[in-house]
This record gives sequence, C-alpha cells and structure tokens, in this order.
Amino acid sequence: MFRAVRLSTSGIRSLTQTRPCYSAPLASRCYSHAKVETDEEFDARWVTYFSKPDIDAWELKKGMNTLIGYDLVPEPKILDSALRACRRLNDLASAIRILEAVKDKSGPHKDIYPYLIQELQPTLIELGISTPEDLGMDIL
Amino acid sequence: MSLAKPAMRGLLGKRLRFHLPIAFALSVVAAAAFKYGVTEPRKQAYADFYKQYDATKEFNNMREAGIFESVRPTGK
Repeated sequence: MFRAVRLSTSGIRSLTQTRPCYSAPLASRCYSHAKVETDEEFDARWVTYFSKPDIDAWELKKGMNTLIGYDLVPEPKILDSALRACRRLNDLASAIRILEAVKDKSGPHKDIYPYLIQELQPTLIELGISTPEDLGMDIL
Repeated sequence: MSLAKPAMRGLLGKRLRFHLPIAFALSVVAAAAFKYGVTEPRKQAYADFYKQYDATKEFNNMREAGIFESVRPTGK
C-alpha cells in the first residue's frame, strides 16, 4: 500500500516538474514529437486574429474569452490589437472590460497591470479609451 | 521612470507546481496523524478492554443488577 502511495507521489512530481515540452500555455500534451508553438508565434497568431479588418462582435468576444482561458496575461501587443478591434466595432464597453479582465488575470501579481497600462498608454490615448480607474470603476 | 516587464506567462502553473506537492504532502501527513493519533489508540483501547473481558462474569453482574427480563436475579 505504501509503495503505491510513494509511486503516485513521484508520478505527480514528475508530471509537474518534468515539462520541458511546454512554454506555451495551450493544451499541450507531453508528446515528444509534437511541435510546440513558441511564445512569439502564439502572440503573433493572436495579434493577427484581432487584426482582421472585418472582425465581428462574436469573434471579438470569442477571442477574448479563449485568450483569458490561458495561463498567461496577454502581451501588450495582443491587447493593442484587441482594443483596435473594439474601436472598429464601436465597442467601448468591451474595450474597458478587456482592461478589467487583464487586471483580474494578473491575480496576486500587482506589478503586471500597471506595466500593461504603461505600455498601452499611447493606444488608450489614441483610441480615447478610459481605464476603469479613470472611471472610478475599480473600487467595489 | 518606466516599469520593467514582469513575468506574464505560466503564473498559475508555477503556483501549482509549488503548492500541489505541498498540499499533497500535508494531506498525507494529516491522514497519518489521524490514523496514528486517533484510530490506532482507539483500536488499541478496545483490544485492551476485551483482552481481559470475562463475558460470563459481566453477564452475572448485569443479571444481579436486574436489568434483564428473560432471566431473573439468583435468589428470586
């Protein structure tokens, strides 16, 4: 009985520790022959997704929901692309919601959101997007 | 002063890789503590009690105390 317990703990440890195959947070299995997408490819794919000139509201929402499901906070360039898609769709609400979402995604890491706002400042000014803090929407 | 880029990927994975083994270990410790702190002493207490238990003597004590209906105390 104890051997089974020890085997299962070492099994779990090896599952959580030996993961050289993934840097991307997508649903990747540990097949050694599968091609793993690099972070840059991942980012580029999402920037392209939101850059579609005739993106529709559903695709925007679907894209954001999928993106938020990953174990990462989206890069500023992905968010920039998404905010511009909101601009094309005349959707200010979604633009502000995106900012709220990435703040929530950061969880306990409080240094991520200020960094993102810093990087997105030119875009926010250009597109005329207020942050939740500007609107007083960040307090519960 | 501009902020440096923080780590933005794999934050949950990192947290789980740190906390799950600890959680698993603590659960095993809790189970072991309960087993050896509660259930084993309890089983031992029962075993000790019944090691020297004389069922007939206890039956007669109960009989004399008059708690049975099917058998009266000796001496009417």
